Order: sequence, then C-alpha cells, then structure tokens
Amino acid sequence: MAENVTYTLKDFKSSNEVRWCPGCGDHAVMNAIQKAMATLGKKHEDYAVVSGIGCSSRFPYYMSTFGFHTIHGRAAAIASGVKSANPNLSVWQISGDGDALAIGGNHFIHTVRRNIDLNIILFNNRIYGLTKGQYSPTSERGKVTKTSPFGTIEEPFNPGNLVLGARGTFFARSIDSNVKHSQEVCTAAAKHKGTSVVEVLQNCVIFNHGAYNDINDPKTRADRQIFLKHGEKMLFGANNEKGLVWENGDLKAVVVGENGYTIDDVLVHDAKTESMNLHHALIEMALPSLPVAFGVIRDVEAPFYDEEMEKQIAHVQETRKITCMDDLLNSGDTWEVE
Amino acid sequence: MGDLRLMKGNEVVAEAAIRCGCDGYFGYPITPQSEVMETLMLRKPWEETGMVVLQAESEVASINMLYGAASTGKKVFTSSSSPGISLMTEGISYLAGAELPCLFVNVQRGGPGLGTIQPSQADYFQAVKGGGHGDYKLIVLAPASVQETNDFMDLGFELAFKYSTPVMLLTDGVIGQMMEKVELSDFKPRWTDEEIERISGEWACLGKKDRPRHVSTSLELDSEKMEQNNHRFQAKYQSIQENEVRYEMLNCEDADYVMVAFGSSARIAQKSMEIAREKGIKVGLLRPITLFPFPIKQIEELAGRVKGFLSVEMNAGQMVEDVKLAVNGKVPVEYFGRYGGMIPTPGEIVTALEQKLIGG
Repeated sequence: MAENVTYTLKDFKSSNEVRWCPGCGDHAVMNAIQKAMATLGKKHEDYAVVSGIGCSSRFPYYMSTFGFHTIHGRAAAIASGVKSANPNLSVWQISGDGDALAIGGNHFIHTVRRNIDLNIILFNNRIYGLTKGQYSPTSERGKVTKTSPFGTIEEPFNPGNLVLGARGTFFARSIDSNVKHSQEVCTAAAKHKGTSVVEVLQNCVIFNHGAYNDINDPKTRADRQIFLKHGEKMLFGANNEKGLVWENGDLKAVVVGENGYTIDDVLVHDAKTESMNLHHALIEMALPSLPVAFGVIRDVEAPFYDEEMEKQIAHVQETRKITCMDDLLNSGDTWEVE
Repeated sequence: MGDLRLMKGNEVVAEAAIRCGCDGYFGYPITPQSEVMETLMLRKPWEETGMVVLQAESEVASINMLYGAASTGKKVFTSSSSPGISLMTEGISYLAGAELPCLFVNVQRGGPGLGTIQPSQADYFQAVKGGGHGDYKLIVLAPASVQETNDFMDLGFELAFKYSTPVMLLTDGVIGQMMEKVELSDFKPRWTDEEIERISGEWACLGKKDRPRHVSTSLELDSEKMEQNNHRFQAKYQSIQENEVRYEMLNCEDADYVMVAFGSSARIAQKSMEIAREKGIKVGLLRPITLFPFPIKQIEELAGRVKGFLSVEMNAGQMVEDVKLAVNGKVPVEYFGRYGGMIPTPGEIVTALEQKLIGG
C-alpha cells in the first residue's frame, strides 16, 4: 500500500461537532492520531475506526474515515471481525479504561493473545466519564468517586501488564498533552504487525482533573518522565543527567557521574527483545522512586493472526483432498452397502 | 405519618432496599440509573445494616454475582438500564431456571442498541415475554410514581421469596429521574440465618452444619425430568397469574372507552383522561401494575361493556398485543405511542383517542 498519497490532519476530520468537554485530553489524542494517519502512506479509504462505549468512544463520529460505534466492551471483538473479514483495512480500536479493561477485559486480553493486526488506542483517564464519575479498573486504590465516596478498596490494572500477561507483542505509553510523542507512538503502533496497544494517559477535566499532575507538572516532569527509544540509553532529567540502571533485580534511577555510576552503567532500551523481564519492569515504574516510562516499550516480531489465517486457508486449499461435492459425499464416515 | 422526603426515583430504589432489609447489591453504572449505586455507596448501609454494595466490572459480572448471592437465600438485587439488562438476560434465564429469588430494577431508556439515554418503555416484551431463553416468566412490577418505587421494592422481594423466582421492577428514565414526595417505609432488620432457613428451606447455602446437601442448578439432562421441572415452573406461573394481578382503574364505571397504560405513560394518560372528560368523552384508565401477571380478566370484563381500548405506551406498540389477546376481538383495540426516548403529550393522546377510536 505504498502509494504516494499526501494528506494532512484536516483530511481526517469529519464535519460533526466535537462534543467532548472543552479542555478534555481526547481532543489532543485525536489530533495525534489524525496526524499519524495522514503520514502513514495508507489511502484514506483503507482506515476503519472502531470504538466501544464511553467518552473516547465517540471518536468515530469525529473522523472522516469509516467508523463503527459499537457495544460497551466489545470493540476489540468487533474490530477483530472487521480485520478478519477485510484484512486490507488498517483497523484502529478506540477504547477507554472502562470499555477496554472492565466489561471488555476479556475481549482485550484475547485479542492481544491472538495477535490480530489491530491498533488499540487505550484512553486511560482512570475514571468513568460518560456516566459522570464512578471509579474505573485503573482508578488508584483509595480513589474517592461517586461510587467510592470512602475510597476504593481495589487494586487497579496496569494496562501494560495485561498486555504482557497475554503475551502481547506491542505496548507503548503516551500522554495527551504531548501530541508530538503520541503521534510518534501511534505511527509505530500502525507499523507493527500484530495487536498494538497504546496507552494514552488522558486528563478528564470534569471528573478526574489533575489525575496525572504529579507525572506531568511542567516544573518537574523532566525528572518524572522517561522517553524510551529502541537502541538508546535510558536517560531522563532536564539535561539527560539521570539514567536507569539494573541493580538487585530491579530498575534504579541514578544520577550519571554520582555515587560511582557512569554512562556505561545506564541501560540501553531494547524494545525488540522477546524477553518480557525488562519490559515488565519498565511498565511497572512509578513515582516517587522511578520515573514513568513513555514511548514504545515493547515491539516484538511474531506471527500475527490475520496473516496466519490467510496462510492457513491458502495451504488447506492447495492440499485439500476434497475438490467437489462427490468427494465430500464419499469422505468421512461413508461406506458402500453391498 | 412515616418518613416524608422529596426524592428521585433512583435514590428511593436505594433507600427502600436498605429499609426493607436487603442484604446485597451488585451494579454497574449506566445512565439513567447510576444514582441507585451512588446513593447506596453514600448511605454506607454496610455500617448500618451490614448490607453489601459492590461495583462490578460489567453488568455480566453483576448479574452473576447476584446469581451467586441469591443462592445463599439472602435478599439481593441489581439495577441497570435497558442495554445493561440485555447483558443480564443470560443470568436472568438461569436464575429463573434455578428458581432463585432476587430483584432487578430496569430504569428503561430508548433503544434498540445503545439507543438514547431518554426514557422509554420499549423493554416491555423483554421483561414480560422472557428476554432470555426458555419457558420462563418474571413477575414484573411497573411503578408509576416515586412512592410506588419505594413500595414495590419490599413487595418485589416478598413476591420473589413467596414464589422463589426473580422479580423485575420495570421503571424508566422519567420515574427514575423525577423527584416526588415519598413516604419511606419503616426499617426492617435483615433476615437472620434462622429466618432464611425457615423461609427458603433446604436450598439456601447458609454454611451451617447438618443441613442436607443441595446443588443449585438450572440443568437437567434427562428430558423427562426437565419437562417435570417445566411443569413445576408453569404451575407456579399459573398460580401467580391467579393470585398476584395488581392494577388500578380510574373512571371505568361509566366509560365508553378505556385507555390501558402502565408506569409513566399512565401518568400522562391520566391527564389525557381528564382533558377528554372535559370534552364530554367518557374515557377511563386501566393501569396494569403487574405486567406479568397481566390483568386479563379485568380487560375481558371491560371488553363486554366498552366501545374500544387505546393502549398508550412509550414504545412502538408492545403491550397492545396483550390487550388484544385479552379483548379477543370483542371491540376495537388501538395503540398510540411515542418512542426512541420521546414522551407523548396528553393532547397527542386525546387526539389519538378521537381519531383512532371515536372518529373511526
């Protein structure tokens, strides 16, 4: 599909009025995705955007592509249906943390396990926004919401862990306010063959405002975010003066040049390794002792379902013994009565 | 006078549940009923009565938590709105098949599919005719006010345990969201294990020593035995039909025409009746309170002395089929309704009455 087509972000916007709240992080994520789509070299008509239910799931209405606003939690299954029936399409699933991980948790892990070539963009605002402020499967323990006025008593999911648990081949993390970075990881997700999951940390201005302030405060974020790139040192801080090292079976944040740590001690990010150990540690990193990891954390080549399916069909068609109705009637449990 | 309050229908579902000694609630947010769980969480009944309130990860989870909880013989319920009830129908069929008592509240919104968040009565067929698979019926109570919402929570549990069967409160976005004066019920304590043992008998999983073993199930591979089970269900539904019909009749004594309407459309039809009477049209209102069991005999009796019926519904014409079955061709039966989240006005209903029945 390497045709010479040039698009801009505007080519992917629909004429529908965008009804997300002013200031909602969804606006920025949509821009990032539209910019990514404009530069992928795929034809406009080859994109299909599938969503479930929730604020982010209004996405297909705002896209000029073919869209499918489906059932709560079922977007992954429906997107799998779209991709299997028409493997030439570039299928993007837009889901929130409620849609993909609560009611849709089952479909989510099985889609990742099956490794069908979908791009799942997971808008994680850690709250149910559309139903006006109940806790979600990613709400932190103790979170006060309308359905947990005294704090939740449940552990949240870390979406990346689910992806690894399902032996996923691609996981990236981004944040709504960093449109350029979101565009980069969405582009990488689109290029990956198999199920790509991009978790976008997204601020809900109405029901969970400031959920990521500790990570994203402009004054401190250089020390609290690390942007990983395959083949590059894991460095962060305003002047890249900090780095990640492996010590006592876990990651550790150090200042290069202090306490005997040199640049040689700092790890190099390998997104392509099949081993999940370091990817898991990177996904798990949390404040205050470690920065939060952004970028493509895992991007591993593996057989993917839609191609495997096509191969299997072709193979069976080539090698089948039954080629006509008579063959079929005389196959299996049939015999001649004498 | 009891405890008088101004409350939303959804809030009253929660309050009435606590007051009638409910043991547990399992839910998932969906508009227009999220206030049920929010009110329960705010009220902290676990501190007051020990009642459990749990936000599940989906309606599929909440119905199955309810299935498990019901097997312990306790008073448990869930609530949702139309798309969420569709997700629950598998569990509802199993609960009916396993003959476990429990309560569902459906605060209906417009469909099909995701539809809209505005009120509707389009789940009548789903509630009354099954929804899930197999030959089963739910007892369906249709409150027309916030007060009835309060009253039917306790009544719903009473019927569920009397017949060992699931019961549904079929309300809608109007009743759930509107605020009205309500006299709340007095507090009843939750049942003790001894009471559960007395009420539910052997099947309740109580965790007590020296009770006979029981396996809760809806499965029976021997079809002759399964037919026997179904005979038992049908006998139960027959008994419910004979003993539990509830309805309200207004101005039917001298009526030439009768409107049949339930829930919020009955409230609107009542106003239409007043307007029509002012115009000199002798019209009455029959409001089924139980949708199953349906007031068949009452309609049969009216059919012998009125000129026609108008079924008024916030759907595309569902209950009208049951009215027609009861009338059995004796007089004309017409339907009027708005749907997809739209609510009929009293004037529209009067016009329909005039055009479809009187003018025709």
